[in-house]
Amino acid sequence: MTHDATVFVVDDDQAMRTSLQWLIESTGMSVQTYESADVFLASYYPGRAGCLLLDVRMPGMSGLELQSHLAREGYRLPVIMITGHGDVAMAVKAMKAGAVDFIEKPFHDEDLLRSIRRALDYDERHRADQAARADIAARLAELTPREHEVMAMVTDGKSNKDIAAALGVSAKTVEAHRARVMEKMRADSLAELVRMALIASADGPATR
Amino acid sequence: MRLSVKSILFVLLRRVPMPVIAILVGLAVGLAVWGLLDQVQSRQVDKIFEQELQAQLDQRARESLIRFDRYLSNYGATTRLLANHRRLSEYLEPLFWFEDDDTLPVVYKEFRPHWLPDFFEREALSSPSHVLLTDPQGRVREVFQSGNDPLPEEIAARIPTRLLNVREVRSVIERFGERLYLLSSDAVEDAGGYAMGHLVVLVPVDDAFLASSQRGVYVGRAAVALVDGADQRIVASVDSEMLVPGTLLSDWSESYLVTSQSMAEYEGADSSVLFATFVPHAAVEKMSRHVRIFERRQRGIAAAVYILVFTAVIYLVSSRLNAVLKRMTRFSQRALGIPEPGFHRDGNQLLLLEEWIQHFTQLVLKAREEMSIKHQAEMRESEALKAAVMEASLDAIVTLDYGGRIIELNPAAERMLGLDRGEATGSVFAERFLPEIARPAFQRLLDRSRHLHREPQGRGELVALRSDGSEIPVEISIVPIDLESERFYTLYIHDITARKQAEREIKSLARFASESPNPILRVTGDGLIVYANRASRPLLQAWGADPGECLPEDWRDEIAVALESGEPQEREQEIAGQVYSLLFAPIRDLGYLNIYARDITAVRRAEQEARQHQAELVHVCRLSTMGEMATGMAHELNQPLSAIVNYANGCSRRLQSATSKTEDLVGAMGQITVQAQRASEIIRRLRALVGKQPPIRTDADLNHLVREVCSFVEFETTRLALQIELDPGAHPIPVNVDLVQIEQVLLNLVRNAIDALHESPEERRRLHIRTRVQGDQAIVEVEDTGPGITADRILHLFHPFFTTKEGGMGMGLAISQTIVENHDGRIWAESEPGKGSIFYVALPLARADTPEATTAPESELLESLT
Repeated sequence: MTHDATVFVVDDDQAMRTSLQWLIESTGMSVQTYESADVFLASYYPGRAGCLLLDVRMPGMSGLELQSHLAREGYRLPVIMITGHGDVAMAVKAMKAGAVDFIEKPFHDEDLLRSIRRALDYDERHRADQAARADIAARLAELTPREHEVMAMVTDGKSNKDIAAALGVSAKTVEAHRARVMEKMRADSLAELVRMALIASADGPATR
Repeated sequence: MRLSVKSILFVLLRRVPMPVIAILVGLAVGLAVWGLLDQVQSRQVDKIFEQELQAQLDQRARESLIRFDRYLSNYGATTRLLANHRRLSEYLEPLFWFEDDDTLPVVYKEFRPHWLPDFFEREALSSPSHVLLTDPQGRVREVFQSGNDPLPEEIAARIPTRLLNVREVRSVIERFGERLYLLSSDAVEDAGGYAMGHLVVLVPVDDAFLASSQRGVYVGRAAVALVDGADQRIVASVDSEMLVPGTLLSDWSESYLVTSQSMAEYEGADSSVLFATFVPHAAVEKMSRHVRIFERRQRGIAAAVYILVFTAVIYLVSSRLNAVLKRMTRFSQRALGIPEPGFHRDGNQLLLLEEWIQHFTQLVLKAREEMSIKHQAEMRESEALKAAVMEASLDAIVTLDYGGRIIELNPAAERMLGLDRGEATGSVFAERFLPEIARPAFQRLLDRSRHLHREPQGRGELVALRSDGSEIPVEISIVPIDLESERFYTLYIHDITARKQAEREIKSLARFASESPNPILRVTGDGLIVYANRASRPLLQAWGADPGECLPEDWRDEIAVALESGEPQEREQEIAGQVYSLLFAPIRDLGYLNIYARDITAVRRAEQEARQHQAELVHVCRLSTMGEMATGMAHELNQPLSAIVNYANGCSRRLQSATSKTEDLVGAMGQITVQAQRASEIIRRLRALVGKQPPIRTDADLNHLVREVCSFVEFETTRLALQIELDPGAHPIPVNVDLVQIEQVLLNLVRNAIDALHESPEERRRLHIRTRVQGDQAIVEVEDTGPGITADRILHLFHPFFTTKEGGMGMGLAISQTIVENHDGRIWAESEPGKGSIFYVALPLARADTPEATTAPESELLESLT
């Protein structure tokens, strides 16, 4: 859990907002409250770590609407829905739209806090992944086209000789390329290089 | 005189029947044929016979001559043979006859000299009487004499050289004395080739000679004779007994046909002999007779055939004529009514027929004349009639020719068209008396009348143009008249101005009814619909009757009643969801009944809707208020309660970790108080809301209430394909209740039951509602076949916020209980899980002295709510 993570609370009911802040802050997490989705959107900027605590029923933009709006914008802020009694259907909808969790009022404080922690955890992991992927992408960008080819073949499990035959160069040259790839990718072992390649290719779109 | 003869002949002819005439004519023709053939044919036959006979005679004579000639030739040949015989030449070798020798000839008698072989016998020739050898000068040197007759004196010493030929054989018939001899000679040479003289054979030509020459020929058929050419006497004949020599040839022409031919070849120097052939007349006659008999027989057959054919043909014709006459007589009797043809039926049919035809022609002429007179009379009558009709007709009658020109018109037409006959005749009707618009229509009428020869004729309504230019509506009927040469049209024109006007008025009057938006009908006493306006279509459809048909049975009875009473009656009928008020207004004197209907659906519906709306509004209002209130209240209460919980939890965490300041905690506590107060405020508001309606009690029938409740849930039950089985008590069950509240209770129970049935399989869904009276209580049972309620749940059933339904508040039964208890009643439930449940509501029966209204204690209700 990082210390700069914030729990964003969006609820139209002032009492609810304040009481939630009171409760969450009691665990030492930082909380920011917003009386409506619009206010939240106006102040939020992408990249802020944390999670979003949303009331489903709100005047103006509802919790569900805000959630879908964020998804459209590509913000991967984890969302926890707070629903009132009998809003189970809505909660299901929220979950389907990608909410991390939903909590029904009246709720047990432990449940809420556990849920928040999980969400922050998820957020952190996600961010780390994203950072690693960005790093690998940066390193990959340093490779020459020939080195790209060599790396692709190496990670594909081909031997130096195979690569040399395929590219029409000597094994020595392949050896040299390979050394340079390892160096540029800052990979200590072949296994690490393969992992990098997997990360880079697995979630390609995210790195762009 | 000749005429009278002719007439007598006619009279005779008339008397003779045809068969007789037939026979007579046949005979006459036969005889004529006979005579004609006799004249022509026999002569012809004679001529042919004659020719044939001549040819035959010629032939026979030639044949005889040829035979005779050949016989003579044989002698010549034999002579030559003897003359050139070796024996003779050898015999002559040593001899030599001197010219001046005066020696007597050597005569052989009784024996045949060596040099003379007997060739004649061999050749079947009659033996010569003498064979002589002469020297070249003809002097006889040696003689063979076969008989006793000496050599004729003329040639006893010397044979004249004229009878001899030096080189060739020569045969001559010469007369020596009274006898004829054949003298055949040839030159003779000795062995050394020296000409010694001649060998002469002398044969007497007598009967035997001729017979021998004609050997094999019957003398009776044809006899031959030699005749002296100079005196025409017979010298020798084949039968001297029959044809005596010395007689004249002409003596025999009586009994023989004689043909004589000359024989120049054999003629001597001073004798000419003819060869005659005699054919007896008897033989020729016989043949001629045969031919004649044959010819006559043929003629007879021809005549007979003619007689038969003519007789038969004429007889047949006469019998046919008889038949024709009979038939014509019958016809005239039957068709023309002539009892007696007026002629004798016996006699010659041909003449009878002619007479009869004359008679018949006269009769027909007479009849025709009579008919023509009659026809003329009739025509005159009919013309007069027609003229009268034309004159008297109120309608205009105009006759047009094929080109549409007016030929004739009656006074009515003159009046109608506004001009007199002289002006109108000859003008084209369509151009003169029809406006341009009406002309095509008129032409169509013409065409139609032309094509339809039966009813309806060309008939139609048009606008006609008077001569003064004004237009009048007319009805025109066109009848084409087809005459042989031409076609005419008769136009009957009827001025329908008045009728049109009346029609317009009637139409405009009729429009009153037809324009009415309300159904208006007129029916007869029997229920027959005489008139129905357009708006009455739904009524007619519902009755299944069209104008001109009868109303349904039950309505006919109503009509009868209304007519009987003579008073207007009012009825109501619902048709296809529309309610009609029907006013039966009888018109007794006409036997009609007018039905004025009014669609009062809207009115009724408005009334009903208003009523129902009102009730429903109350119910729904109440119910939805309750439900919504509960939901809203729950949400609203959630907020302060959640906040309180949050604050409290936050406080306790802070206290546990002892990280917070006291002021913060006090602030949070203050917030808890604020939120608690907020919750209390919410509840206060709710209380105020519920407490607004005081119960109003009225007397009501519990069954009625139940029925009404059932109607509220009709929509839902229909959707579930569920039939509520309503089993109300036989009698009304009087209760004194707040209708709205009790209905709400019942509705709640029914709704619960329906909800419970949602979970049951469709075929098991049953909802049973019963009402009954038990002691002084009225009881309603609502039974369902839902899943039922377990025993532990049934205890909490009427507690607030107890619910088994998703989204349910758990308030319905609690409120129901409060209401029922307010009415001094009781509500309870029994259930067998898996089979269903029964809810009971017991209410006190209304008594006569039931107080008008009692105010229910509100506190109880509110208590149960909270």
